[in-house]
Amino acid sequence: MKTLHIAFRNIFRNSRRSLMTILAITVSAVAVHLFGGYVANIVYGMQTNYVCDNGHLQVYQEGFFDYGAGNPAAYGISRYQDLIKLITQDPQLKDHITVATPILKFYGIAGNFKKDASKTFFGIGYVPSDLKKMRKWNDYNMKIRKSRLNRIVLSDDDIDGGIIGEGMARMLLLCEELNVKNCKGKLPEKSDQKPAATEDFSFLEESNGLNDIPESTDKRPRLDLLAATAAGAPNIVTMYVNNTEVQGVKALDDNYAAMHISLAQRLLYGKGEKKATGIVIQLRHTKDIPFVKARLEKLFDENRLNLEFKDYTQIVPMYRQVISFLFALFSFIATIMGVIVLFTIINTMTMSVMERVDEIGTIRALGLRRSGILGQFIAEGLLLGVLGATLGTVVSVIAVTGINSAGIMWTPPNYVDPVPLKIMVFLNPFLAPGCWLGLVLLAVASSIFPARKAGKMVIVDALRHV
Amino acid sequence: MNNSEFAVRLTDVKKKYLMGKVEVEALKGVSLQIPIKKFNVIIGPSGSGKTTLLNLLGCIDIPSSGCVEVCGQDIARLSDKQASDFRAENIGFIFQNFNLIPVLSAYENVEYPLLLMKKPAKERRELTLKMLHDVGLSSHKHHRPNELSGGQRQRVAIARALVKGPKLVLADEPTANLDSKTGQSIIDLMYKMQAESHTTFIFSSHDKQVMEHAEKVFEIHDGLLMEERGK
Repeated sequence: MKTLHIAFRNIFRNSRRSLMTILAITVSAVAVHLFGGYVANIVYGMQTNYVCDNGHLQVYQEGFFDYGAGNPAAYGISRYQDLIKLITQDPQLKDHITVATPILKFYGIAGNFKKDASKTFFGIGYVPSDLKKMRKWNDYNMKIRKSRLNRIVLSDDDIDGGIIGEGMARMLLLCEELNVKNCKGKLPEKSDQKPAATEDFSFLEESNGLNDIPESTDKRPRLDLLAATAAGAPNIVTMYVNNTEVQGVKALDDNYAAMHISLAQRLLYGKGEKKATGIVIQLRHTKDIPFVKARLEKLFDENRLNLEFKDYTQIVPMYRQVISFLFALFSFIATIMGVIVLFTIINTMTMSVMERVDEIGTIRALGLRRSGILGQFIAEGLLLGVLGATLGTVVSVIAVTGINSAGIMWTPPNYVDPVPLKIMVFLNPFLAPGCWLGLVLLAVASSIFPARKAGKMVIVDALRHV
Repeated sequence: MNNSEFAVRLTDVKKKYLMGKVEVEALKGVSLQIPIKKFNVIIGPSGSGKTTLLNLLGCIDIPSSGCVEVCGQDIARLSDKQASDFRAENIGFIFQNFNLIPVLSAYENVEYPLLLMKKPAKERRELTLKMLHDVGLSSHKHHRPNELSGGQRQRVAIARALVKGPKLVLADEPTANLDSKTGQSIIDLMYKMQAESHTTFIFSSHDKQVMEHAEKVFEIHDGLLMEERGK
């Protein structure tokens, strides 16, 4: 009791020096909190972004993840509706799942024959209402702009509609029709060579009754999508473009075509059995992934299904890379701050020891053991740490509140829309307590060296010290 | 006199230490016996070895050779921890520069040795207040050392030395930093306290005022005991 009492008075013996030390700890705490909160915002924001679009888990036919890009149709999941039922109606899984929906990923060629423009594309077919539901997922209470939710312009009824990337719209010369920005660049010069084929290929579309429909009155820009069916034959469907949607990565933006799953199935499977290349599963909480994975594995084994599943960190490898990068950056900053605190406290405590040599001699002569001296100076380091870390936490809360309410907008990497800059210190439950405890322990560790020096003093030399 | 009648026994004690690279022999074979419950004074000129001798008696230093027995304990056999506990239990110090702890009040300074002895709070309070009353500082108990005069600080130091009822009180030139009037009052106070507590007091001084009260005087010169006077 008395040790802390005396320590408290001692640290204010030279109040200016102690205040500077406490401020150094405070600044370190604020830096770690702010950067940690910023990193948490990016990490949880990225996670929310990915989970909203790709779910937590995706189930594929075995081999699809590694080889499916070569021939997606060959890896289609038959009777996928039964599989979705199996998953969503499983007593152990149903409470953990918010959405389980089919997707169809494939590659093809899109043509705007009105303007003699065509290019390859990466297509994705989904159930619009399910995607809308998925995009409402916000487990970390991120401030997602409403425009993001409103961006879904497909509906379940619009089975011929689609969305393409802005870059793709540019290359297919749909700038005017779709109000695409940045279309002022030089267009590619037309070749003198005659195109290989100029005629409308829609006769290739497998007869499914749609060809019997008279010329469409749909005013939306039309694209003809060509792809190989599961059987290997070419097939064509018509997609009417509702809108463009900028993708975060240019390579994707130049090739992106999203559509209703039934349109994608018509293109890939024609009159054959309609399949999906994957089942997207979105969970209520990310922390449920290990449990759900284990259950899915068991479920697939029991039903002898040759399926595999990947979580979002496997599907989007960049997620892990970004987290590793941010973690390294955070560790670097935290280390620098820690070293500053370490040297500041060592300096303060060493000065304190040197100023109190005769006092150390006196209390040792009165009967205080070496360990008592050690404890006395460590207690002073502890108090400096506690005061600095606590003040740092308070200042951080004020700073975070100020920044978060300032309405600063920014576009994180891989994002399409700007989002509010939020410092989410308390989203990570370990950040604030970990920072506080880390600084206090560092302060204690920093004071051990000067304290040992004080404890080792020879009493008669200390008493003789002027 | 038998052994138990001596607070301190020194047998051919030598003490050497290094001053820079030069070896200095501060005590050159001192043998003496200091009786208990008496007002003893060690006199000698500056550099004669008084403080070195008191350091040995206070168990804050050990001899280079010879034997120092304090209250029957050979101090060279004590570990650092044991020596600390021995000092806390048996020895009170009064320093020339008062050496009070600046961040503690007069009350807390006096209470400090009792904390080291782990005395219960109630007993600490009673003993501390009584001792402050005895040295005439009851009204100054909340004052910090820098709010007290030199004489008052030395009174606090006396109270601190005596509060735990030590077997031996060592005072290294306690009046050296005081004016003669204040010095006299401090000597009178210590003489009175010694008479009341029957504690063994050992002074180092060259002050004639101190010697007037001394029951036993040891004169030391150039590290050697030159003369021993008194009962």
